[in-house]
Amino acid sequence: MKYALFLGCKIPSALPAYEASSRAVLAHFGVTLVDLEFNCCGYPARNFNRYAFAAAAARNLALAERAGLDILTPCMCCFGTLRHAIRFLGEDAELRSRVSEALAAEGYAWSGKTEVEHLLTVLARKIGVDSLAAAVRSPRTGLRVAAQYGCHALRPGNVTRFDNPMAPTMFETLIRAAGATPVDWPRRLDCCGDPLHQANTPLSGRMTRAKIADALESGAEVICTACPHCHLRFDAVQAGSSDASIRTLLYTQLLGLAMGLPADFLGL
Amino acid sequence: MSPALFQTALYASLALCSLGLVWRVSAWFRVRIGPDARTVALSQRVAALLRGGALALFSRRVFQLAGAVFLDLLLQRRLFANEKLRWLGHLLILTGFTLLLLMHALAAIVTAKLFQGYQPTLDPYLFLRNLSGAMVITGVGLLLFGRWRRQTGLPQARRPMDMAFVALLGFVLVSGFLLEAHKIASPRAFYRMSDQFIGSTDAGRLTPLRAVWASEFGVAFDDLKLPIDPRLLEQGRELHRSACASCHTKPVSAFVSYPMARVLAPVTDLLDTGRADAWLLYLHVFACFLGLAVLPFTLMFHLVAVPISLLVNAAAPNRDFSLAGRASRRALALDACVRCGICDLHCSVAPLARYLGNLGLLPAHKLQATAALAGGRLLGCEDVALRAADGAFLCTDCGRCTAHCPVGLDLEDLWEAGRGDLAAAGLPSPAQWVQAHPALAWAESLERGPAEHVDSGPDDLLAPLSADRRSFSRCVQCQTCTNVCPVVAHSMDSNHGIDLTPQKVMNLLRLGLRDLTLGSRMVWDCATCYQCQENCPAGVRVADIMCELRALGVRRLGAVRSLRESS
Amino acid sequence: MTGARRDSCDVAVIGAGMAGMATALFAAERGLSCIQVGNPGGILFASGLLDLFGVHPVAERRLWRSPYAAIAALAREQSDHPLARIDASSIRTAFEIFVAALGAAGLRYAPLGDRNRSVLTSIGTIKTTFGVPLSMVAGVDALEARPPCLLVDFRGLREFNARQIAESLGHRWPDLRHRRIEFPGTEAAPELYAAHLARALESRQTRERTIALVKPLLGDALAVGFPAVLGLARASEVHAAFEAGLEMPVFEIPTMPTSVPGLRLLGALETAVSARGVRRRHQASVRALAFDREAGTAALDVEGVPGVERVVARAVVLATGRFTGRGLTADRGQVRESILGIPVLQPASREAWHQRDFLDPSGHAVNRAGLAIDDAWRPLDADGKPVWPRLFAVGSILAHQDWMRSKCGSGLAISTAWAAMEQVARQLRGTGAG
Repeated sequence: MKYALFLGCKIPSALPAYEASSRAVLAHFGVTLVDLEFNCCGYPARNFNRYAFAAAAARNLALAERAGLDILTPCMCCFGTLRHAIRFLGEDAELRSRVSEALAAEGYAWSGKTEVEHLLTVLARKIGVDSLAAAVRSPRTGLRVAAQYGCHALRPGNVTRFDNPMAPTMFETLIRAAGATPVDWPRRLDCCGDPLHQANTPLSGRMTRAKIADALESGAEVICTACPHCHLRFDAVQAGSSDASIRTLLYTQLLGLAMGLPADFLGL
Repeated sequence: MSPALFQTALYASLALCSLGLVWRVSAWFRVRIGPDARTVALSQRVAALLRGGALALFSRRVFQLAGAVFLDLLLQRRLFANEKLRWLGHLLILTGFTLLLLMHALAAIVTAKLFQGYQPTLDPYLFLRNLSGAMVITGVGLLLFGRWRRQTGLPQARRPMDMAFVALLGFVLVSGFLLEAHKIASPRAFYRMSDQFIGSTDAGRLTPLRAVWASEFGVAFDDLKLPIDPRLLEQGRELHRSACASCHTKPVSAFVSYPMARVLAPVTDLLDTGRADAWLLYLHVFACFLGLAVLPFTLMFHLVAVPISLLVNAAAPNRDFSLAGRASRRALALDACVRCGICDLHCSVAPLARYLGNLGLLPAHKLQATAALAGGRLLGCEDVALRAADGAFLCTDCGRCTAHCPVGLDLEDLWEAGRGDLAAAGLPSPAQWVQAHPALAWAESLERGPAEHVDSGPDDLLAPLSADRRSFSRCVQCQTCTNVCPVVAHSMDSNHGIDLTPQKVMNLLRLGLRDLTLGSRMVWDCATCYQCQENCPAGVRVADIMCELRALGVRRLGAVRSLRESS
Repeated sequence: MTGARRDSCDVAVIGAGMAGMATALFAAERGLSCIQVGNPGGILFASGLLDLFGVHPVAERRLWRSPYAAIAALAREQSDHPLARIDASSIRTAFEIFVAALGAAGLRYAPLGDRNRSVLTSIGTIKTTFGVPLSMVAGVDALEARPPCLLVDFRGLREFNARQIAESLGHRWPDLRHRRIEFPGTEAAPELYAAHLARALESRQTRERTIALVKPLLGDALAVGFPAVLGLARASEVHAAFEAGLEMPVFEIPTMPTSVPGLRLLGALETAVSARGVRRRHQASVRALAFDREAGTAALDVEGVPGVERVVARAVVLATGRFTGRGLTADRGQVRESILGIPVLQPASREAWHQRDFLDPSGHAVNRAGLAIDDAWRPLDADGKPVWPRLFAVGSILAHQDWMRSKCGSGLAISTAWAAMEQVARQLRGTGAG
């Protein structure tokens, strides 16, 4: 298995542990990751200019296509954004032709071959839960884990094709593969608050805190994430608060620990 | 040149340079970037520097400092990692320039003291001077070539002053070489020397020596018959050994000037008559003095700012700075940036800059805007300011500019501070400036606004869903979207509740009142979690429409923004 | 663009209303692989109450205490009604499995029994139904015994007015009282939405604050009724906490759609099918359906995004509903089946669709229009033959029924889904695997 690794903007600068742990875990399962210099997935431009958003996303897809690779991203926002762009380009001929022009000006083209996968879809569907479970050396038995699904990977399900958007099971299955116990928490499919962090900080904070309180009340010891935005939002809100707090752990860290990978490989 | 004139000019330019340096360096403590920097007094900033410097020098950090001097400053490892060609060019300039400065400009106080029997016309000095000059010219050429080769399609940031300085530098080098070339070929110079050291300017008497100097030292005598008799040469060499050899080696080693001298040979007579040696010297020296005087206000100020910036970085563990330290560091960054544009190359949103036609997104341009804003020059030109604000708020803080910056600037800190300044200057992010007024007020402005201003370009590409009735006509106002909306849910306990619910936004669209939605809190507070869209029983793409309304709002409300804010 | 996505399964279910969800659930229970296409649709508008069969004959508006006796009567008088084709034990099994699956997914129902029950509605009327969520069952008891009882509502929750209910029932239930309280933390909000309150009550703190507000108001009440906002995903725990905190039976009254019970039902059904491996295609529709008679498979073009997905299935179940579910469409002259244009049993002309009086108790002929089926639940073509040997139809798209007036919507959906799935399984066994 070989993918172009799309780290997005957040991971290298703010959460290098996610990159390190993803590489460590994926390498164990024989996944080759190729580094291309991608640009921003296009997400910030969605609220600004639809054409610029689609063109920026398509440029990434074109970069991967030129390398003959599909994209693997550990970021749920990048994942959803790229999938959205594929939708918009697919349904809007005028947009597609303008974007093609912009790409051609730089010598790029995108014919639609590139597939976009999230880290979790690769782990669950391409590598397979059984292979993950077989690699576990020190299962995290008894650890009660709340899965943070992340809106932009989950919904809308017809665009992201991540899991059943109303009642997903993938993340819990992956947590079980690491030997831990998934916790059912009412707000597991809620927004983490990150998209509103800039636009409306108090509202964003209420959303994050509601999730943290819910996870704690549901008996979770850890919120497990698979998106830098969710992860950093939980950490940031808890950093400046005296409320009860909960540990956050990236899924690749949870799995890596269960596989017996050294903690410093996982950025822990 | 009279020593008095030389001295006066030298001291004048040195004085100007020093004043300039003081002024520029003081800016590191005066210039305030970022709202937090406004809370720190100048004295605190100076104290922070002194304290930080002392802590670093008298602790084990001193090894880090030494490492930084060696690796970052002398070897330029960050530049090497980024662009080998540029690194080579830069190293050539740095080495060549240093050699020229010490060995040539300051020959009397450096080289002559260190090396006995120093003469500028002796090898290896003759050769080394040419080599140094050639290194600088090659280096500048490489940098210009690198800049030209980088066909990104986007203009690169530059200041006119910097380009003027490069031209001045080129002029100094070319005039220097010309001067040397002319002096090699000049019979006039020969006679001046022979007069001084042999006591004769008689052409006939000096013929053997002239033969030697013509054939072996490139002097362009126009009255010597060729080929030269070997016996005459033998005679001349005798004289040369006794009178000239101690100060002159064959100028062939001046591998730039000597070929130039040969080229100039046919016109040497003319140049001699016109006293080219004198005015070339004046031009060369005064160009140097001019360069020296204006140095603090040109690109070359980075010679001061960059080393200090690198040392400051190395001095603080984990780049952990106090507020006062950060404030000074931001001001320092404005000077340490050499506009190399490497950040632009790696900028994650550079493609957006291209697609939006807004250079304000690019880091090197953004730095100039930040400097302009700090200097109070940005707000004068509204258009530039608005574009700078758009660019600043589309930055994703990916940190690639910082990671690649060859001089190690913490650009993310600068961008964040810059955004704070923009917001304070009335140029906040779209979500903020839109929400400063209620939706109804915006709708009124749209109505009053000049039509051609508001309706610039078709909406279809920007907002095809909200422009197409079919995308929301199926809405039955069942309130599912509102019931599953976390934004509405989390606005229950707030005095800043939302104005419309998602279902009401859809209803306004159904009623053809799209302009009423563009400034609404609901539209701008939408978290794009897609619960509404996923749960909609009628298949309305609610969240997609919300995104569109924001994009449309940025443009349409942006067009009447000045109208709104002046009212 | 990314065009040719493909997938295959034993059973493709078209529709995600009650009948579609029940079909997918039963298919998965039988170990058949299943792909289900459709929007949340009708379930959101459900009340959480599961009707089985309440009114017969429709024209007389006669209410039955025993749904099974009513169905037996129906079978004697109108044998082509879909429910008349199914024996009582199958209906019982279908309901038990359905309700058990909901319970496992967090939405618990009171034991079903054999009788219809009377439930208070949010407009003060009384509704006859069969399956009652555990959180509402104390209301059934209270309505029967009519003890002193308090109804509580929340300022700002416009869809539920306790005073209105108490006033319209006052003559029959004099000890029914009402009080309005401020939902904790919503003092500044002009308007509240049921689902948001339900989710807020899942936090222990909000729950305890609410209970503390109600407790002093109880007086001599022996039961307390609330709008149906007591929790969403955690409804059972929230309801139990209210009963423990108030130390008496607590019941919910379903609110107007879109209601919390509808969201709960949707959540539980999605959870149930998802846990059983049903592959759901949300916000998608079937653009074309074609049969490969040689291979014995059906090909569905599912219009999702991006592009179109080709689903190959060995059997297909139409659970597309009627007009609002867009299973049927009506044009100027006639009613059509939307996907394949299967002939719809209907009045001869448009004039005969409706009675002169819109409120005519016997209902309208067009409400009984729908697909004609054979004994194996297969829709019939113009020649009276199955359209395709493994194309089935369930739920309200079937002819000869008027579920709204008979109060048999869920009963029709669940029972026909069960009966049809028996036939699907039999047919698939006949073709080899399955």
